[in-house]
Amino acid sequence: MKCALVGNQNSGKSLLFNDLTGLNQKVGNWAGVTIERKEGIIKGTDIEIIDLPGIYSLSPYTSEEEISRRFVIEEKPDLIINIIDSTSIERSLYLTTQLLELGIDVVVVLNMEDILKKRGYKIDIKKLENLLSTSCYSISALKNTGIKELVNAIKNREYKSNIHSKIYSKDIEDYIEKTISVLPSSVGEKRFVAVKLLENDVRYNDLKEEIKLKLNVDLEIKAIEAKYNDDTEELIASERYKYIEKIRDQVVTKSNKKSITEKIDKVILNKYASIPIFILIMIIIFTLSVGIIGGLTVNLVDTFFNGCDGSIPIEMFGIEIGAIPSNFEGIGPMLGGLIESNGGSDWAVSLIADGIVGGVGAVCNFIPQLVILFLLLSLIETSGYMSRITFLFDNFFRKIGLSGKSLIPFIVGIGCSVPAVMSSRTVEDDKEKKLTITLTPFIPCNAKLPIIACICGGFFGPYSLLVTILMYFFSIGIIILVGWFMNKFIVKNKSTSYLIELPEYHVPSARYVAKDTFDKTLEFVKRAGTIILLSSIVVWFLGSFTYDFHYVDGVNYFIEQSFLAYIGRGLSWIFYPMVGIGHSYNDIWGVSVSAIQGLVAKEQVISSMQVIAKVADEGDIFTSSVFSYLNPVTAFALMTFNLFSAPCFGAIGAMRRELGSAKEMFKAIGIETAFAWCIATLIGIVGGILTVAGVF
Amino acid sequence: MTKEERKLKKEAKKEEYNYVHVVGEKCPLSHLKIGQVGKVIKFDFDNKPLRRRLLDMGITKGVEIEIVKVSPLHDPFNIRLRGYELCIRKHELENIECEVIK
Repeated sequence: MKCALVGNQNSGKSLLFNDLTGLNQKVGNWAGVTIERKEGIIKGTDIEIIDLPGIYSLSPYTSEEEISRRFVIEEKPDLIINIIDSTSIERSLYLTTQLLELGIDVVVVLNMEDILKKRGYKIDIKKLENLLSTSCYSISALKNTGIKELVNAIKNREYKSNIHSKIYSKDIEDYIEKTISVLPSSVGEKRFVAVKLLENDVRYNDLKEEIKLKLNVDLEIKAIEAKYNDDTEELIASERYKYIEKIRDQVVTKSNKKSITEKIDKVILNKYASIPIFILIMIIIFTLSVGIIGGLTVNLVDTFFNGCDGSIPIEMFGIEIGAIPSNFEGIGPMLGGLIESNGGSDWAVSLIADGIVGGVGAVCNFIPQLVILFLLLSLIETSGYMSRITFLFDNFFRKIGLSGKSLIPFIVGIGCSVPAVMSSRTVEDDKEKKLTITLTPFIPCNAKLPIIACICGGFFGPYSLLVTILMYFFSIGIIILVGWFMNKFIVKNKSTSYLIELPEYHVPSARYVAKDTFDKTLEFVKRAGTIILLSSIVVWFLGSFTYDFHYVDGVNYFIEQSFLAYIGRGLSWIFYPMVGIGHSYNDIWGVSVSAIQGLVAKEQVISSMQVIAKVADEGDIFTSSVFSYLNPVTAFALMTFNLFSAPCFGAIGAMRRELGSAKEMFKAIGIETAFAWCIATLIGIVGGILTVAGVF
Repeated sequence: MTKEERKLKKEAKKEEYNYVHVVGEKCPLSHLKIGQVGKVIKFDFDNKPLRRRLLDMGITKGVEIEIVKVSPLHDPFNIRLRGYELCIRKHELENIECEVIK
């Protein structure tokens, strides 16, 4: 038996899905589209359940709705579990009336009745059941109550079967009857199709032609529209709501109590306090995850993978505040040593230690802080604050072609662009979504922090922390600039809309937050294990072999002879205008090589430059002769380019998935890189002129 | 546009902004102040999918809509209808004609 879980957004669908399935879940892909679908088995049964994206109606408005619609129509589940938010029962039942037209059995699950009771409302379930002539159950997905009864009813098939009650006025019901009698037998959900034909849905134009000889639907529409002085689309919606209003009047008894949400919103959405509160919350999140937890753990994890030289530095925002003495060798060097002692060649040792463990380890460094970040963001989301942020800033973001909802990916992007790009799904409008995805990698993620910290620390001395913080504001400036530019000249987005509900504030469910954090972290780790592992090996190979396939051992063959160095030289023209003016063209391959390695993981930019400097003359980035052309201006330009150009492969993969095609993905990263280049080159050239002129 | 004209236009806009519509008057929903309620009498959109979406969300003729909150940046609005609240942009509300009932 196959069930589909259908409901509005914010109706507690994901929570109910977790309650029903426990850990028996898997995430699959929709056939033909790249949006995930969650499947599971209901605990203690063999009933398959599919979690569909949150929808308000079966007339598709967003891509997610189209998917849900297609699923229930094409895959014909045996049962639809329709979850309803009791606090907005009227709007929720609108979808129910549509689902009932499909002819599939529907059970209505009323969620959050406890909240309703607190507000002084009461819903008469028995009466609702009779009026809808379908089975209704009351649950609390948050408190996990009423679930057992629901599961038993489904398992034992105790629910009522769908009998198609008539809900419209006589003329429309007459039309529906007429249409049903002429529809070909291949159409299963006849009542639904009849209504769709009446609504003039373009997806049913072929069918309309097919039955034209028996029944001219266009004439019927004209007759009804003339009689009611309204177009059929509006008429159907109005009649559905009239039917629901009648039900509402009979089953809901209400009183008037002011909810706690209103009181909280008085402060949180206050004219003057709202923006300072937002900034404060962002600072807390950033300090806790990236600053404290990140600083404490990043080098510990790195030591675990790559070992250390005598002590593990403890940093905060990229500034060293202490060190733990340690002699741990690290997984990579240990495995390398093992291979060496068993007679493995140099390149095999390097492949394991530098290529595989080094590459994947570099990404894993960020796991502890990401866990904290995901946890905090999950808290913000489930408590109801995230939607308020979008409400707060929509007006501002609309001016640059985005929606308030674009802010969610930007905030998540402080941690990692991969989940950030994934969270862009909530943006409804396609153009806004694409622009959001293109702009999200501009936010400096955790992995870009070492680039900022190293370059600032090397060149700005006592001001490095200030410059680091300024870089975040700089990136916001870049987003606004690029967003404005794209909207003005390229995307030209005008007719967008913003529709969102502000959910009630509630204390987040610990189970849900834990699971959400775990899922997101797992997704990140999986990525590190697949795409990042693969690209690490490729870049390692290019950097470790010369064009005639000699291993770069640092004795006979050097990194400047490697494939990577040649590719770097081939790409040096990109960097020449920003860092190389006044220097030999051939000298600047080091920065292009490190930028390429940055594609694997952004923090590799710095480690790669360090390796090159060390190999060349045992120097440091800032003293080595290979980077002699770097001065504060060119270093700043180089940092700008690395921060804002194409993100790492992990994020590029996520962009490919969310944008839906490789073409869109290349377009997005092309735009990012082009802007990064223009800005960095501008900084390099203008800064260079000012330096010569003696301003600095 | 001269300085004088710009000033006049600004003042006209300010006046429109401060003007409180009284019960029985007809105006776009966006003109209502926080706490006021309007009954929808007409709504037209060039953007058909959006119109459909608003119908689905319960904005049909005759429904009563209350302005609950306005974002600190003056847009979007948070409205209450059919027992729930919805955030919607001012631009959309401008296209919804209502009769003030409170």
